[in-house]
Amino acid sequence: MKDLLERLNTKYSLTDIEYQRDNLVFLTIRKENTIDLVTHLRDYEGFTHFVLLSCVDWIEDGKFQLTYFLNQPERKYDIVVRTMIDRDNAEMVSAHHLWRQITTYQRELREMYGINFPGSPGVDENFILEGWDEIPPMRREFDTKKYSEDTFFPREGRKTHDPASYMKEKLYPTEPTTAKVNKTDE
Amino acid sequence: MSNLFNWEPDRSKYPTVKDNGELDVDLSSHKFTKLWVGPNHPGITGNMAVEITISGDEIVQAKTHVGYLHRGFEKLIERRLFIQGFPTCIRMCVAEPDYNEYILSKAIEDLSGIEIPEMAEWLRTLALEMARLQSLLRTVPGQGGTFSLGLGVQWGMYLRDLILDRFEELTGARIYHMYILPGGVRGLLPDGFKARMEENLKLIDQFVINIKKLMFDNVIFKKRAIGVGVIKKEWVDQFGIVGPNARAVGISRDIRKDYPYLKYQELDFEPPTAKDGDIFARSTVRYQELIQTVDLIRQIMAKMPEKGDIKSPTPNVLHWKIAKGETYIRSESSRGEYGMYYVTDGSDKPRRINLRGPSYNHAMSLLEHMLINANISDVHAIMVSLQTCPPEIER
Amino acid sequence: MGKIKDILSPFTAWGNVVKEPVTIKNPIGREAAPRYRGFHKNDIDTCIGCGTCEVICENEAIDLVPVDGIETKDGDSGLRPMIDYGRCCWCALCVDVCTTGSLTLSNEYTWVSEDPDEFRFIPGVDKKSWDDNEKGWKKPEPNYEFYGKKRVDMPELHAEDRDKSFIEFVTGYSKQQAEEEADRCVECGICTATCPAHMGIPEYIKAIRNDDLEEGLRILYETNPLPEICGRICTHKCEEVCSVGHNGDPISIRWLKRYIADQNPSEKYKEILNAGNVENNGKKVAIIGSGPSGLSAAYYLALIGYDCTIYEKLPAAGGMMRYGIPEYRLPYDQIDKDIDYILSLGVDIKYNVNIGTDITLDKLKKDYDAVFAGTGLHLGRSTRIPGSDHKNVFFATDLLREISLGDEIQVSEKIVVIGGGNVAMDITRSLARLQNIKFGKVDVTATSLESEDIMPADREEVVEAREEKAIIDPGWGPTSIEIENDKIKGLHVQKCLSVFDESGRFNPKFDESNTKFFEADMIVESIGQGMDVEYISKEIRDQIEFDQRGRIQVNDYFQTGAKWLFIGGDIIQGPDVIHGIANGHKAAIGIDKFINQDK
Repeated sequence: MKDLLERLNTKYSLTDIEYQRDNLVFLTIRKENTIDLVTHLRDYEGFTHFVLLSCVDWIEDGKFQLTYFLNQPERKYDIVVRTMIDRDNAEMVSAHHLWRQITTYQRELREMYGINFPGSPGVDENFILEGWDEIPPMRREFDTKKYSEDTFFPREGRKTHDPASYMKEKLYPTEPTTAKVNKTDE
Repeated sequence: MSNLFNWEPDRSKYPTVKDNGELDVDLSSHKFTKLWVGPNHPGITGNMAVEITISGDEIVQAKTHVGYLHRGFEKLIERRLFIQGFPTCIRMCVAEPDYNEYILSKAIEDLSGIEIPEMAEWLRTLALEMARLQSLLRTVPGQGGTFSLGLGVQWGMYLRDLILDRFEELTGARIYHMYILPGGVRGLLPDGFKARMEENLKLIDQFVINIKKLMFDNVIFKKRAIGVGVIKKEWVDQFGIVGPNARAVGISRDIRKDYPYLKYQELDFEPPTAKDGDIFARSTVRYQELIQTVDLIRQIMAKMPEKGDIKSPTPNVLHWKIAKGETYIRSESSRGEYGMYYVTDGSDKPRRINLRGPSYNHAMSLLEHMLINANISDVHAIMVSLQTCPPEIER
Repeated sequence: MGKIKDILSPFTAWGNVVKEPVTIKNPIGREAAPRYRGFHKNDIDTCIGCGTCEVICENEAIDLVPVDGIETKDGDSGLRPMIDYGRCCWCALCVDVCTTGSLTLSNEYTWVSEDPDEFRFIPGVDKKSWDDNEKGWKKPEPNYEFYGKKRVDMPELHAEDRDKSFIEFVTGYSKQQAEEEADRCVECGICTATCPAHMGIPEYIKAIRNDDLEEGLRILYETNPLPEICGRICTHKCEEVCSVGHNGDPISIRWLKRYIADQNPSEKYKEILNAGNVENNGKKVAIIGSGPSGLSAAYYLALIGYDCTIYEKLPAAGGMMRYGIPEYRLPYDQIDKDIDYILSLGVDIKYNVNIGTDITLDKLKKDYDAVFAGTGLHLGRSTRIPGSDHKNVFFATDLLREISLGDEIQVSEKIVVIGGGNVAMDITRSLARLQNIKFGKVDVTATSLESEDIMPADREEVVEAREEKAIIDPGWGPTSIEIENDKIKGLHVQKCLSVFDESGRFNPKFDESNTKFFEADMIVESIGQGMDVEYISKEIRDQIEFDQRGRIQVNDYFQTGAKWLFIGGDIIQGPDVIHGIANGHKAAIGIDKFINQDK
């Protein structure tokens, strides 16, 4: 595994190499070289099994992290190729020509995160959602709770009490206490 | 390397391919009909639809539609505490909820450096094998069911219910066990469990003999299953085929052997394989696995200790925080590689979880590809033979 | 051949025709497994309404609601969980996390009702057919915990290292220990009601977890301006009601408070607490006594712009905290840290001023807009048994004060202490140290009326006193002191059978035939203290209300009948630092109201 990474590092500039386990390594590469590296791993290093294409929303950095999981079935180790792309107008080079299932992943990411993969077959088709007019729902700023409160209605007559505030109300309503308990009950 | 790109099906008959690569399907020509199989169809495993374009009885184009039970579990778990994940994630595959519990719990343990007690490892192994057993008891005869051989399904369902009885006394529930949690498991074996399990296994031993006579030595089944729904060896990497579907073309990949987890290293087993890659081959592999799983459960019950701690101490679950990190945990479900990509950001909730279910590849790109040139009546047979589980596609 | 076999073999299934069917005729009556997760049960008397079940519920299926007949009291919020089965997923996390172990699940799963509202009920209150069903999910045992049950031990000096000196023997939590202890808190907030000062306990514990000790200090000062002191010697009534304590050790709230105060350097207090620029409102308040209530009143008055002057009889501030509590429990530099910060806010203090003799209360009334008196209980009470007027019979409070003042006190080789409270333990342990220094050995016996199980002293005080080789022999009532040739020979005691009568009144019963003699050449009485209100002139005293037992009556804001005079602290509430602090805070609010109304 170490040799392989050294070989790769001469060709590509890799950063943030982290061993999660002996046979599972995460690394980061610039966006432009990502598909190049993935293709190289598949064609020359025997990473023939594509495990997963995933996305992590680092909203505070304004980035999406695209994560390509590659598995080397002969030698039984995994390389996870990460790349950061801008959150605004998110776009990534399509990899659908490398493995068939990537088409599905890219369709899903297009729908759930709003990342475009130009040229990927059927990338704009609905995958799971139909008639969705909100922002892509897997983005961090999409608030599921608020959405469900706006869309559905709560069961009537439900009311809960915070023990500390309720005890203040009952036992020592006028006495000074800390600000949080002093807040009126919801 | 060249054969990696050789995945286009035989389109020598019709329709013709247009310059832009699309099929020249003109519905008004009366040559083609569109047909929806599902989402509400007894032959479909779960809520999923296949939109097929047929010419006569032959499928020229197929498209899988999902989204009929999308509940956004990955998103929901992102908004919940670490401990609250495991009762939610099990719903990502109803048929084998335990794998969800295991990979989620293991991911949390991996990222926060928790080792679980040996007893808990054994109990987890047992629960996972029981899950495989009950799943196979449904799938193996279920393949016959797609050819209207309902009797085996009834036998299987009865035995599966007995395994669910065992699940009930071990975990407190029949379907959504919620047994494996971050740090360990939620209970030791009840008194007399092994004896009752052994009784059930004896019935399954008998079932294995009967189902062979009923299904595998059945000329009708053979006629329908042999040579239909063939997966070629080179497709395995092209489509990301895993589990029994891959083993049925002679590629012996099994997470339990290749990346041993829990107590599988201490168990004696060899994943069965077949060569032909058709429905019959896949069925046979599953049948062999069913026999093997019964044997594994016996091995586990014989080797596991009687007593021991079931859970390691964890931080207070109400404000458990995990430092920034990411990991990938895989396990071998009855359908193949079942994995969890888990990302934490230092807060008390995960940043991202992503389930890698085998059906994501099997029921989408692979099924769409395999259905071309198949007959309408083979749609369900092919689908069931891939053992698709729609909830893990749309999580 | 194979072909024929393939045609015939499926017919073997016909063999099943003669077999018994395996189907269950009526599955509704089938009982679920003993571990099944069915509908909830709740032992309503054990439940304290801490709400941890509500917090862990991932589906928001649990509401905490008031229940008729369940009273809100110390340690019990009076709320009980109501479960909405439209949302419940029967994961039983609520059972596994339940602090009291009251919540369980039954194995009932077939119950149905046509009324959807019946699927929302309060288990244990709304009667259900499965309430007495023993089977069902319970928290797995053993070693299956969702939070730490065992307290992180406080590092202490060994008994041998500590009993020869007055250095502080509890060394305080390290960062890791404090965070580990803070992690055990379930944030229910039950403790806040019981704390006399109603401190934001879960909030400052959370600040420790987040390693934000400055925020922690701000939370402490919201309700308690003496955290270093309280962090060491508070009577921690909060820990008695801690929900985690129902099945495990309660959170070490007191030590965590101390940790926050210890970790913040005093020179940064002003900056952290943002107390730099308070505008003076030109009003003046006099405070008599610099004990906890006086300091607390001064602090909260100073925060809102009052000009406060404290009059202290003794040469240093702190009252009983300095002169009643031995240094090994509460070092003087820690008292100074808290007090110096209060003084740094512009509070003036005048030492060695005796109100009533040096300045009269009437003069204070004239010179100030209001007066707060927290003069405490400093007079020792005597047993009045024969011989108790001997010169070698002392009051514990006097001795403790003299030790603190640095005076040399008389220490004999054999000492008996009468009393079983914390003050008795303080003097016992102090004398043990002094004996150790002077004679190299310890021979001090403490005896109390109360038997060991009802001794008013904190348990750890008794244990630690014994570790320091003092003898604690409870359950004896003193009868007389034997004196020979004007020298004390010892103390005669008789067995005490019970201290309180059926109605709970103090009315001890003795077994006169069972007696004992403690040899001693010095005796210390520590059976309680009285107040000294000589400084209040007759004229003013007439305006103040007293009850039959001579106790001063005040309103909710500690205002007496003489409207300008507020009295709080030990005089009103009995000896307790944290009550004094709460009184002072409340009185400060009252004084502010009084002065603003007046003008």
